[in-house]
Amino acid sequence: MSPDDKREQGVDLGEFLEFYLLDSQEQIDKLGTGLLQLEKEGGNIGLINDLFRSAHSLKGASGTMGFTQIVALTHAAEDLLDRLRQGKMAVTLDVVDVLLAVTDRVKAMLAQVGQRQEITVEYADLVEAMKALINGEKRSVPGSGAANLPNAKAAGMPAAEAAGGVPRANDDFVVVDFGLTAEEWAMINEAQAMGHGVYQVDVALAPQTLMKAVRAVMAVQRAEGLGKFVKLFPGMEELEAGSPEGFSLLIISDEAPAEIANEILGVSELVRAEIHNYPAAQLWADRRAEVGAAREASSGSPASPGSPASSGSTAASSGRAAAAGTAAGGAAAAPAESSPGLARAGAAGDPKVPRATTVAGAQSPVNIAAQESGLAAAPAAVENGSTQVHTIRVDTARMDNLINLVGEMVITRTRLVQIGLDLKNAYRTDPLVSNLIETNVYLGRLMNDLQESVMRLRMVPIGTVFSRFPRLVRDLARKTGKEIELVLKGEDTELDKTVVEVIGDPLMHLIRNSVDHGIETPEVRRAAGKPEMGTITLDAYHEGNHIAIIVADDGAGLPLERIRAKAIEKGLISEREELADRDIANLIFLPGFSTAEQITDISGRGVGMDVVKKALNNLGGMIDIDTRRGQGTTFIIRLPLTLAIIQALLVEVGEEIYAVPLSSVLETLLVERSDIKTVGGLPMVQLRGNTLPLISLQQKFDLPASPNPSGEVFVVVVGLGDKALGLIVDGLRGQQEIVIKSLGELLSNLPGIAGATILGDGKVTLILDIGSLIQDILVARKG
Amino acid sequence: MAEQQLVTFRLGGEEFGVDIMRVQEIIRIPPITRVPKAPAYVEGVINLRGNVIPVVSLRTRFGMERVEDTDLSRIIVLQVHKKVFGIRVDAVTEVLRLDDSAIEPPPPVALGMDSQFIHGVGKIGERLLILLDLDNMMGGEMGHEFEA
Repeated sequence: MSPDDKREQGVDLGEFLEFYLLDSQEQIDKLGTGLLQLEKEGGNIGLINDLFRSAHSLKGASGTMGFTQIVALTHAAEDLLDRLRQGKMAVTLDVVDVLLAVTDRVKAMLAQVGQRQEITVEYADLVEAMKALINGEKRSVPGSGAANLPNAKAAGMPAAEAAGGVPRANDDFVVVDFGLTAEEWAMINEAQAMGHGVYQVDVALAPQTLMKAVRAVMAVQRAEGLGKFVKLFPGMEELEAGSPEGFSLLIISDEAPAEIANEILGVSELVRAEIHNYPAAQLWADRRAEVGAAREASSGSPASPGSPASSGSTAASSGRAAAAGTAAGGAAAAPAESSPGLARAGAAGDPKVPRATTVAGAQSPVNIAAQESGLAAAPAAVENGSTQVHTIRVDTARMDNLINLVGEMVITRTRLVQIGLDLKNAYRTDPLVSNLIETNVYLGRLMNDLQESVMRLRMVPIGTVFSRFPRLVRDLARKTGKEIELVLKGEDTELDKTVVEVIGDPLMHLIRNSVDHGIETPEVRRAAGKPEMGTITLDAYHEGNHIAIIVADDGAGLPLERIRAKAIEKGLISEREELADRDIANLIFLPGFSTAEQITDISGRGVGMDVVKKALNNLGGMIDIDTRRGQGTTFIIRLPLTLAIIQALLVEVGEEIYAVPLSSVLETLLVERSDIKTVGGLPMVQLRGNTLPLISLQQKFDLPASPNPSGEVFVVVVGLGDKALGLIVDGLRGQQEIVIKSLGELLSNLPGIAGATILGDGKVTLILDIGSLIQDILVARKG
Repeated sequence: MAEQQLVTFRLGGEEFGVDIMRVQEIIRIPPITRVPKAPAYVEGVINLRGNVIPVVSLRTRFGMERVEDTDLSRIIVLQVHKKVFGIRVDAVTEVLRLDDSAIEPPPPVALGMDSQFIHGVGKIGERLLILLDLDNMMGGEMGHEFEA
């Protein structure tokens, strides 16, 4: 069945498709992060194993869904990783580059799949590049664009032919002729085309094993659990009658070879299981050649990318096996030159391999001796076991529904409390009333717990956002010729999912800025007496009811004079105006402000910082800058922890009631009207020796003025970070838990309004956006 | 012959109609919370069973003077392009069927109001029914205002 048939016929496929896309995305992300780690740490066998597993499951899943292009590409990547894993190749920059290119390409393919399009992304060039690497050629990585494709192809083809023609070095296992029927051939050929692994498992029995056929049956049963068992050799009768030292299984499986070996070795009396890719395509070609007699059995037939065994060889290669066998002991020495990590792993693994049971030849490249890989895989498996998080995936819509319901319950409870108080006023002595109030208090406690648990459902570690930046920094650094290290901290800090979803872009913008404008070139840095390697630090931590996210670089710092000059040129500030460094730095958040003399394709188009600021304001957060000439720039972002349910202070302005998030309330004051002074058109009040800027909500929101103004007004002092502002209000209504509701698309982006909530009496009340009010004042002071 | 089902309502001296498929429900006027800095025709927001939805005053939208609520005043809750909002009207009159042939394009000089909100005029005997174009009521124009 061709993949196209499958897609057309499968109406249900759409359902699986979502899972497939989610899962594949996860694997690709894992591969991406893993590769960057690999680049940094060199060959770490556990890590390579993880990468291999990711590539493998990606291949398997894609095969199941019938996306042959992805299968072909990931298959080649898997081959390459396999070589790394066995220490046959060293981890080089070229290898990492090509594998990263693969992740990009697969991402592009998945995007097409996601849009229900045919996959048209080219991939042959990468497959060739990987083959060339496997064959020890040094070639540059083909770019991801299609423009240089013809070149890459032209260069790649001969290499591919060479790969097909010359059997892979050190290939020594004996291909067993299972005597397959035509149906069985068809089955394994199709399996290979779909990207499933077709393996020959050579099992060795312990000497003097009784009931050999039973062992074989048990092994077959276990093989069935791993995938599809095809054939056993020798047959049952021979096993029972003769005294074979072992038998071979032919199986189709998506499991990693090491896992297959582990599983089969679970049967007692089986001492060794070696897994080989079964060169079905090759054998099939040979067989057809024999049958067709006249046809030339060209072993140089171009390898088809989809067949795992294409580079495998027939018994013809056994001549090389001897050489491979003697070299096997030294196999671990090969990577030693380039990657110390891998060499160590190899060296550590080797002594544990029981020499007595392992024939020298068993350590050949394509096969994996079960003992060896078992040992290598064991630490990784243990690690997996301990770090495994038991999770379920839930549709966010369902979760949001739950949170909405809890929100409604919170509102209803507030109403109950109100009714209780009213009853108490009316029937003060009735014991039933105090019963009701007590129950209300208990219900309140339960609601708090429930609310907290539900909110926790929405909390995700910020690491999920951070994880995409190492790659970004790496690529940008290479592009700009700078040396930059990205240090991630506080990845476990949790915050609301909605925040996590939208924080990515602003952060990316800041990081691009740091790479492009912040960090200097190595030469400049050397001249300035700094280490050539620049550092960008990304940190996150809790700060009261807020989360702080830091993007810091140790670069040149902001060019304050230039910013000032530009601001004067654009008429944003007057020439006379004296501004603190920090206030000058804050000017870059004004719309249309960019000092970049040279527009690069990384950043500096003049749109940007104001967009970043706006995005953060929309989340109820704010951003601040700390910059030091020659020492670097630090951006500090402060965001509320959660966006759904908050404590709020209700204030009265005329007839209206507004809610102020309690997390930003510092204190409340009662101020004589006569103490309010106007400085530069803005009201101010002296508070403990400092000047506190004020905003009259009545003026700000064009509300009708209070008919009989009293001599005193309430001032709610709100602050974010070290910025404070006083809100002039007519009265305080007390504090209450509120559920934040969106005003909907039609009324989004209103200045100073963060959202709405519904009070106990069912009336809608608006929530003030403190971040935007404060930032407004800062800008107003400049303008 | 194709026909439309319409909900008809009164506003001042005129009678209007909206496609019944766009009408989610019709409610009495609840307390309305004013929204500062919102466009003038947005009267405010209301609580519709836990959801906060904006309410447009059709009188303001069509440049008529404001009137006090009566017992007949209603808010028609509409759903246009998945956005829910309410329009405040003087009274809801009836639900009726109207043949497509009875609908004429809006007259060039459109009854003293902006013709972008009108997609036709329906005739039932001597009665004239102004058919509202809801796409521009909030979706179209509002979208532009906020993009700018």
